Amino acid sequence: MMRRWLMAAGCLIFAGQMAGCVAHTQPEELFQLSPESAANRAMQTRMFETKDEAELLSASAAVLQDLGFQVEESVREAGFLRAAKERSAREYGQYISRFFVLVLSMGKVLTPVDLHQKISVSLVARPLNPDATRQEVRIIFYRVVWKGDGQVDRQYIPPGQQKMEMIRDPVLYQEFFAKLSKAVFLEGFTL
Amino acid sequence: MKRRAVWGMIVGATVATLYGCVPPQPAPDLLAPTEAQMKIRSVQTRTFDVKERQVAMRAVIAALQDLGFIIERANESLGLVTAARFAEPNYYDVLGVTVTVRPQADARMMIRANAIYNNKPIEDPKVYQNFFATLERSLFVTKD
Repeated sequence: MMRRWLMAAGCLIFAGQMAGCVAHTQPEELFQLSPESAANRAMQTRMFETKDEAELLSASAAVLQDLGFQVEESVREAGFLRAAKERSAREYGQYISRFFVLVLSMGKVLTPVDLHQKISVSLVARPLNPDATRQEVRIIFYRVVWKGDGQVDRQYIPPGQQKMEMIRDPVLYQEFFAKLSKAVFLEGFTL
Repeated sequence: MKRRAVWGMIVGATVATLYGCVPPQPAPDLLAPTEAQMKIRSVQTRTFDVKERQVAMRAVIAALQDLGFIIERANESLGLVTAARFAEPNYYDVLGVTVTVRPQADARMMIRANAIYNNKPIEDPKVYQNFFATLERSLFVTKD
């Protein structure tokens, strides 16, 4: 019986170590358009039939403020906005799985949970044709998560480990563009 | 006899220490451009037939966004764009890039990109070829 538990704990630790071994992507691949690029672009972009780029930009800033973001940087000439908000990143599911891993590993493995996150936005508005009668707004959401402390066997994992990810939830983008359409009294459309 | 040996050792140690104290002469070509530098610069630079800087800059921003980059900073008057992306699926690696757009005399734009991968400069020409290919497409779409 004891041996089985040990095997289970061993497997878990092994799995945990393997999870850290994600293959490094070569930099040259990162400068190539991937098959998902087009889909991401469609999700992150809306077009508006308007000449007023400044109005689109300021309306975008207002919508971001409504969503709780603080505008960190803005460059009108480049049609660029960057905003961020910080929130707690705690999730019940992570605490539950942390508990089970702790029990299964007989108190040897304490996985770090997500504690804090910074959700950021990078937004660019640009004219699509030379007369600038049609504008495009592209927004990208991403987040940085800070983890709490943990332990594997006797080795302590200090808190503050970072994890970064792009947010690719279409609902979030739809919500933002719905609000932006309302703010500029224009219907945004995709190609 | 023993004292002499100690003295001998002290003198020997001093001489050895002083020997290391010759100030290193800086090489006269320390800041001179090397061939490798010229090479990497030509790899990172390309000139396009674009008249307005703003058009070129917006194309650069669009190309970077298509490549999944997050625009961090943009400065129109200097023609400067800084962007970064996570090396997905590995979220611990960061790829950064700075692009400068400079007008040239004959109504052309010189675009230079510097890419770094985890704080190490990328010198692989293929990376820059890929970038400029995407940029070309973006410029072409913007022109229409």
